Amino acid sequence: MADVTVVGQGMFLRGSIRGEGDLEIRGRIEGDVEVAGEVTIGDGALIKADVTARRITVRGAVAGNLTGEEGVRLEDGARVVGDVRGASIGIAEGALLRGNVQTGHGAEGQKGRARTGAAAKPAVRAEPRKAPAVAVTAARGNGAPRRAAAAEPVERAGPPPPVVPALKKGARAALRKRSR
Amino acid sequence: MARASSSTSHAGSAVLGKGASIRGRIAGEGDLRVDGTISGDVALKGDLIVSDGAEVVADVQARAVVVEGAIEGDISATSSVAIRASARVSGAISGTSISIEEGANVSGRIDAQFDLPPELGGKSGR
Amino acid sequence: MASTVIAQGMTIEGELTSDEDVVIQGTLRGKLTSKDTVNVESGAVVEADISASSLSVGGQITGNVTASDRVDLMAGGRLIGDVKASRLTIADGASFKGNVDMDV
Repeated sequence: MADVTVVGQGMFLRGSIRGEGDLEIRGRIEGDVEVAGEVTIGDGALIKADVTARRITVRGAVAGNLTGEEGVRLEDGARVVGDVRGASIGIAEGALLRGNVQTGHGAEGQKGRARTGAAAKPAVRAEPRKAPAVAVTAARGNGAPRRAAAAEPVERAGPPPPVVPALKKGARAALRKRSR
Repeated sequence: MARASSSTSHAGSAVLGKGASIRGRIAGEGDLRVDGTISGDVALKGDLIVSDGAEVVADVQARAVVVEGAIEGDISATSSVAIRASARVSGAISGTSISIEEGANVSGRIDAQFDLPPELGGKSGR
Repeated sequence: MASTVIAQGMTIEGELTSDEDVVIQGTLRGKLTSKDTVNVESGAVVEADISASSLSVGGQITGNVTASDRVDLMAGGRLIGDVKASRLTIADGASFKGNVDMDV
């Protein structure tokens, strides 16, 4: 009872595979793979294609992007050049990857920047060297709240801030006078 | 504020405690375990461990790197990088061997040095 | 146990080349060349030219078929296209429309 489609070792497909069910690839594919079930890429497989499935397990060689809705796993021996996206991503020791990695459902294309949820530092690394844009934009009737990008950027590698907040000129003197 | 030891002759092992926080550049000969918070740059000759609960906002360079907490920054290891299931990583990761446990939250780029088989455009097989 | 199985529910479009046997239970559009046997099973839908050592047709094929050995069209099978094979059987209940060349 074959619900699993098997692309045998001696097979070369130039084209696309689409459909329901699971797929096991042991041969060679140039094209496009999009199935509803699980895809297993065997250790001798040669895939030049984007692969989209519910879950993907790789032991062979892939030049293409892997998108596994529930997860993607690269096992020892896997060689992948391409982006990997999935709810969860596992990369075993010995698996080799060159590409972008994005975990999470729906894998919003936030390439390179995790949304650090809990600790919610509005941490946007690349941009924040410039002074934060003054939030005047809010007044322009743009209803949607501005995202963290406009908020305090995290300062890095700068001198530690002075322990005492900088006071206006003469304020310190005024304070000293008052406390006398 | 705690200070990581950066001894010159003997490579010691340093810990940045849970309640502690460093802002600046950290350089060291030995290993560093971070339980607290770092914001800056980290360059170690030894290994770096970012514990569960720790927060590192920095580019890090070390020998081997183990991440159980959060790192926002590029990781450059001369040895292995192990991202554990509790980790949150955002940035580029490079090392001689990179592993990611399922459950980890990763957003970034991995660049291992290898060739694809010639049928897929690589120069050589393995 | 076939080396390549295209299961029901799966659709392959393109050019397939295999040096092993192939079983088709799903859908194939394009071209199939196998050095070994090809079985198009009941329920399969093939819109492709097929070249194989031998071919058995239990499903539906629209395309030209070449076999170095034999072609067997089974009951319930349906072939619309030309056949080139040194041996050919057409079972009672099979459908066939095309030319036959047995002079291989």
